[in-house]
Amino acid sequence: MSLTTKRIIVASLSFFFLAALLVVAFQESKRLRVEEREEPVITAANRGCVECHSKDSPALVMEWERSGHAQYGVGCVDCHAAESTDPDAWQHEGVWVSPLVTPKDCAQCHAREYEEFSKSHHAKAGQILASLDNVLAEKVAGMPGNNADAVNGCWQCHGTIVKFMRDKDGNILKTGKENKPVIDPTTWPNSGMGRMNPDGSQGSCHACHSRHAFEAKLSRSPENCGKCHMGPDHPQIEIYNESKHGIAFYANRDIMALDKQGEWVLGRDYSAAPTCATCHISSYMTPQGATVENSHDVGERISWTLRPAISTKLNLVIYEDGYKEDYPDTRAAPKVGEEIERTEKVVENETLVSKKVKGKVAEVITWEERRKKMKGACLNCHNDTYVDNFYKQFDDLVTLYNEKFAKPSTKMINDLIADGVLSKNAPFEHPVQWTYWELWHHEGRRARHGASMMGPDYTHWHGMYEVSKHYYMKFLPEVVEAAATKGIAMKQKYERIVGQLLAQDEHIWMKGLSAKEAEELRKMYQSRYNQ
Amino acid sequence: MPEGVASEKKGFFNRIEALFPFDWDLLRHAGAEPVPYHLKKWWFCLGGTPMYLFVVQVITGIALTFYYVPSPAEAYHSVFVITHDIRFGWFLRSIHKWSANLMIISVFLHLLRVYFTGAYRHPRELNWVFGFALLGATLAFGFTGYSLVYEQLSFWGATVATNLADAVPFVGSYISYFMRGGPEVGEQTLTRFFIFHIGVLPTLVFFLLALHIVLVRLHGVTELHFEGEVVEKEHRFFRFWPEHATTEILIGVLLMYLLTILSLIWPAQLGAPANPNVTPEHIKPEWYFYFSFRLLKLTSLKVSVVLTGAIMGIAMFWPFIESWLKRKFGMSERLSIFIGIFAFLGFLVLTVWESFAH
Repeated sequence: MSLTTKRIIVASLSFFFLAALLVVAFQESKRLRVEEREEPVITAANRGCVECHSKDSPALVMEWERSGHAQYGVGCVDCHAAESTDPDAWQHEGVWVSPLVTPKDCAQCHAREYEEFSKSHHAKAGQILASLDNVLAEKVAGMPGNNADAVNGCWQCHGTIVKFMRDKDGNILKTGKENKPVIDPTTWPNSGMGRMNPDGSQGSCHACHSRHAFEAKLSRSPENCGKCHMGPDHPQIEIYNESKHGIAFYANRDIMALDKQGEWVLGRDYSAAPTCATCHISSYMTPQGATVENSHDVGERISWTLRPAISTKLNLVIYEDGYKEDYPDTRAAPKVGEEIERTEKVVENETLVSKKVKGKVAEVITWEERRKKMKGACLNCHNDTYVDNFYKQFDDLVTLYNEKFAKPSTKMINDLIADGVLSKNAPFEHPVQWTYWELWHHEGRRARHGASMMGPDYTHWHGMYEVSKHYYMKFLPEVVEAAATKGIAMKQKYERIVGQLLAQDEHIWMKGLSAKEAEELRKMYQSRYNQ
Repeated sequence: MPEGVASEKKGFFNRIEALFPFDWDLLRHAGAEPVPYHLKKWWFCLGGTPMYLFVVQVITGIALTFYYVPSPAEAYHSVFVITHDIRFGWFLRSIHKWSANLMIISVFLHLLRVYFTGAYRHPRELNWVFGFALLGATLAFGFTGYSLVYEQLSFWGATVATNLADAVPFVGSYISYFMRGGPEVGEQTLTRFFIFHIGVLPTLVFFLLALHIVLVRLHGVTELHFEGEVVEKEHRFFRFWPEHATTEILIGVLLMYLLTILSLIWPAQLGAPANPNVTPEHIKPEWYFYFSFRLLKLTSLKVSVVLTGAIMGIAMFWPFIESWLKRKFGMSERLSIFIGIFAFLGFLVLTVWESFAH
């Protein structure tokens, strides 16, 4: 073979080599682009929207472009399309649309999540609209014609009934060239968890899955829950931040796999710390190695209710139509197959009403079973003894609060109502009503929540310390003061009641410590502070 | 030049030489290699390219080592700092990356030229073996270097590669344990790869290169003749210094241009940081391992590892195998060339095929 032929062979192979490298480089760069940012799939139906809104609201379109939705071609009209008969719909550039995307819209693809969520406490968060909290915001802090405190405060977490502006005949007002329905501006925008939507659905997926990027890492982050679960009456995020769990999370955020697509399983995808989502709704590994499916029913693993004045354990009754109802353990749970009447809250004519509904019981889940589900998450890192002992410590705190403060104070308030001292219709008339309210709604919850999530300072100083101080120094004197407004006889009756209460063992400390205890105390301060 | 200056210069070098009692004439003789005429054509000068790029790698590599921290907690961050904060850090890193790729490409091209011109044949068999060992070392450089970046893909690339090593018959588990410094890719692995990348491999390559060049010098460069080309006897060879050396320097300058252009247009990127908890959807090694990765997907872990090992072994000792086949079965030179074409095209097909796969 001549050298020229060989040269041609070498040249050809070198050329092929170069060509192959270029092909590989091209594929490689395409793959890199895919990893960096997937190209959005803009379907024909969405092209028009994207073209205009890229100019009108470019950041919004950019947010959508980086979403998982965009990668699968799920675009504007897939969520915003509406029926011409929907009250919130109007024809925009030839397409019937609505600004309101409700859980029913999301259910087109996320059916399982919708089913779980719609039966959960989160979906019912708007039913607080007829509570004392709302009286405080609308009446106490509000004024006739202006309920801005409720609008900007309560409703932004709890959700509201989305209403429309109407003429005197009750027809929805329309505006602009496209006859856009006018939504009552006090009810929209609103991303409250329990928003009641014009299509009859309750809830807002957006509350956790912020539009339009719908990032998994956002929903999995504790700050997401902290938007609402914070403050004096339910400081869960502050407690979490104080806890070992929170500390571990913030130190290891980068290895929490928060961005992982699809399943996010404790004990498989991450281990550094649990977030709110981890314990309450997310998947985890079981000791047998199987994965427990996540659930959008946020209350599924909760065994105590720590919200009311007096805490109870919670059994769960599930009806054949899927409706879920918590049964306090103080109330006898029905039998499976039994047909019973329940009260549901629904929106009729833009008003929340109670409705009696009959249903057959399909399943009763005991509080022990709910607790077992929660323990499953704990067991990924801790052993049985550790978890059981934690629950013993937590249970004892709730029992202490219940027995020493919550039950006697609640009884006294009820007695004052029975004696005509307080009026049920005037819940914030007397100082004692405010004190009682804060005792359970603020301080008592802080103590119980603190213990439930291992926040020592919230349990004691922000919790039980405040409960004790206000119980002895404010509540009990104010009980007598309120009674005194109904005459000397009523005052003496309640002085007697308070006196009998304080004579009980758990209150006897008020009369002073024993000589031995006092001496020990003095010695401790002397040795500790050299005083 | 005035005579006085020249003699003074000569005197100066003489004095320097006197400080080292060494046979300097031997060195002069070694440098005065007669270079065959065909090396006037620049495409025969590619053997020097990998060596030039190796020097570039050593220089940029030392500079990068000033800032790189070989610990799992710090590695990615230090590469991030090199890329984004250190002045010219991105440039050094890009040059290092491109130079690595060009080094591998040029080694392949050099190998093609040597193979198809039959320059590996007797008496130069051993130098082919050294050359092939240099190819292996270059690939090992690429692999360990890429792993040091400690981004998601490089971390998982290392995991896959050590799993591959695990599949080597009999000794696989020992090799993979040695590479990882434990049963899994972890803290020890990065340190080991770092030591290999900046210590063991450079030393190995230095000695292999020295042997390679010494053998070239001892055997002389294979003389090649194009048919019909008449070269007068006195022109059959030319001097290494300065004629050939200047060609090499010119190639070096052009390579520096090429590296700079590539680094400016496609600077080295940095992916997501390594996360041992999250397996990325697509794991891929660097392109030069695509063929092996494709083989793995086409066969099984064990078969592909054994097959790759067998192919590499045959290629490395081909000069001996070929001469044995020639003696035993009278194999023609033409068949050797066809085997070469088939093998290289096979390598290319597997590489391109893998690039299309997800």
